[in-house]
Amino acid sequence: MTQYHETILVVEDDVQIRNFIAFAVKSEGFLCVTAGNGQTALKKLVSEQVDMILLDLGLPDVDGMEVIRRVREWSELPILVVSARDQDKEKAAALDAGADDYLTKPFSATELLARIRVALRHFYRNGPPKTQAVYQVGELTLDMEKHVVLSEGNPLHLTPMEFNLMALFMKNPGKVLTTSYIIKEIWGGSYGSDTQALRTLMAGLRRKVEKAPAKPRYLFTEVGVGYRMADK
Amino acid sequence: MRKRICRYPKAAGTAVGVLSLVLATALGYLFRRVGFSETNIVLLYILSVLITATLADGYVYGILTSVGATLAYNYFFTDPCYSLDVDNPGYIVTFVIMTIVSLVTGTLTSRMRQITYDARRREEETLELYRLTSRLVTVDEIQGIGSAVAESVSRFLLCHGACVCFDGDGIPMECFMQQIEEGRQIRRVLEDREAYVRRIGTLGGKWGIVDEFCEYPVRGEKGIVGVIRIPRQEGAGFQEGQLRFLDSVAKCMALAISRIYSLQNQMKSQQEMTQERYRGNLLRAISHDLRTPLSGIMGTSEMIMKMSEEEDPRYQMAEGIWKDAGWLHSLVENILSLTRLQSSPVVLKKEEELVEEIVGGALEQLRRREPEREIEVDVPEEMLLVPMDGRLIMQTLVNLLDNAVKHTPPEKEVRITVEKDREQDSVVFKVSDRGEGIAPEDLPKIFETFYTSGLKAADARKGIGLGLAICKSIVQAHGGRIIARNRNDGPGAEFIFSLPVDCANTEGEEY
Repeated sequence: MTQYHETILVVEDDVQIRNFIAFAVKSEGFLCVTAGNGQTALKKLVSEQVDMILLDLGLPDVDGMEVIRRVREWSELPILVVSARDQDKEKAAALDAGADDYLTKPFSATELLARIRVALRHFYRNGPPKTQAVYQVGELTLDMEKHVVLSEGNPLHLTPMEFNLMALFMKNPGKVLTTSYIIKEIWGGSYGSDTQALRTLMAGLRRKVEKAPAKPRYLFTEVGVGYRMADK
Repeated sequence: MRKRICRYPKAAGTAVGVLSLVLATALGYLFRRVGFSETNIVLLYILSVLITATLADGYVYGILTSVGATLAYNYFFTDPCYSLDVDNPGYIVTFVIMTIVSLVTGTLTSRMRQITYDARRREEETLELYRLTSRLVTVDEIQGIGSAVAESVSRFLLCHGACVCFDGDGIPMECFMQQIEEGRQIRRVLEDREAYVRRIGTLGGKWGIVDEFCEYPVRGEKGIVGVIRIPRQEGAGFQEGQLRFLDSVAKCMALAISRIYSLQNQMKSQQEMTQERYRGNLLRAISHDLRTPLSGIMGTSEMIMKMSEEEDPRYQMAEGIWKDAGWLHSLVENILSLTRLQSSPVVLKKEEELVEEIVGGALEQLRRREPEREIEVDVPEEMLLVPMDGRLIMQTLVNLLDNAVKHTPPEKEVRITVEKDREQDSVVFKVSDRGEGIAPEDLPKIFETFYTSGLKAADARKGIGLGLAICKSIVQAHGGRIIARNRNDGPGAEFIFSLPVDCANTEGEEY
């Protein structure tokens, strides 16, 4: 098992949950710093060497979005937001503002650690400027140079837009991509938010990639937020 | 009570007639003595006719007096006096004209009198009805209506009227009020109410005589609401005018009774609504406060599980805590969802969602709770876009799947099917299983809030009956329908709900 050395800042106002997260994170080998509210969090960000933030959206004093914005002013470090079940709009907004992924309470330690790992992996991968030529997720292989996607060795017939979308997913396995982010990446900023077009594109892609579109193996829908490709 | 003008109208009329003739004759003699012309004497007699017509009750006295005046004039004042002969035939004309004039003026006067009497009577009737209506508006309970009606009827119709009121179920009250005299009423017991209702029913809504009273049924919106009772002797001779008054009173009474019942219903619904709202708010507040500690308990117990070996008793205990906390957490989320849905107005954020995505999302959520379970999926090839609140419909599916899984052994099938119903312009979702099915006694109540079946679920952890109630609330808020039934192609149950596919705007209409 890899020994991590990263320091994770846990910002959560409820003591029990904060302790639980801290414990889970520490037992995985990470170093942990905690904060019970937004002000303390921002202080600790400056005073400590923090590599990643776990941020509760329901903080009493400062709006979670504010913290995200402040951090993003000077750092690209991964931010995971933690929220309650029915806060779809807040989740999507946080992701669009710069958060990398989200967790919904209650979550298990397994889920938490999985998301942390994915977020860190992306952070390190996107660090060096060289981009990969070939991406692999499960039985799917995407070759950027040859411009082809293989499923179990067989090529899939994708339209150019479908290929771009697939590439976007396969570069970010395990990470949630908001609807607006995808639209911006595929259609460019001028398109506005036409979720219909994205849904249609997703439906087409799903039918080509998945054996059963309603029981996805790779392309998952995060209802109200966006989409996520499987981690492996 | 108003007294009649005179007890013996016949005798009075005759007396007035005779007296006025006598007076006219006496004055006539005076005039002749003094030397006034004969015309004045004729006029005196006509005056006597007028007086009689004014004072006596009825046309007949005026007519008789007219004839009597002419005869008297003939007898006393025309030559030869004291006989009915006439020397001068010219007097015949005088007599004829005199009679005609007397008759006409007398008749007209009687008629005027009658008209005035009728008008005054109508005015009294209107006044009485106005008084009754004013009083009924202020009454706020049924017995007060009976009392007001009895008083009004007695006052106007000069009788000892009474009034029986029925309650909301058509059963007469135990007692009824009867007017004894001005300002005094007594309460009397209504004997044998069932027999009474039957007797009133046989009257067929009309005025009828039963034992002691004349009964006048009062009809409301939904049948008989009361009865106006007049003592037999007094009411037997009622004419059209009195019956018309009773009819007006009956209508007022029916209106007043219906108003009181409306008010009572309104108050009851308002009370119920307030109670519901209190209960909802309380539930919401409690649930909200429970969420966070439950998350904490789940997380911490999971940590303990991770720290122990599976065979360790501590692992088992921690797992028990974790499962129970999870169950509690579901429960709390369900309560919150339901209270949100049941608060009015329901706020839905409808967006066009792909059915396959919603189904996929529901399956993912279920996989977190029941990772071992395989669910069969049947979704059409075509893209199905349906306007809906994606999260809520996903929750509906999760609840239905959860329910199916709870009642189906692991090796038996649980299937989710989606179809487009072209005729109804809707999309139909079906969650079916090959499990134990739904007990017949549960079928009608299965979607009720807090309803749980008598049978124990597979793992003896029952819900509190909210999952299906939430499904129903969600589907109905979308304008859809949901049903539950046992399959007719073998064992198991199926839950089917439909969502309308709105054709909100039809673009590009071509001519």
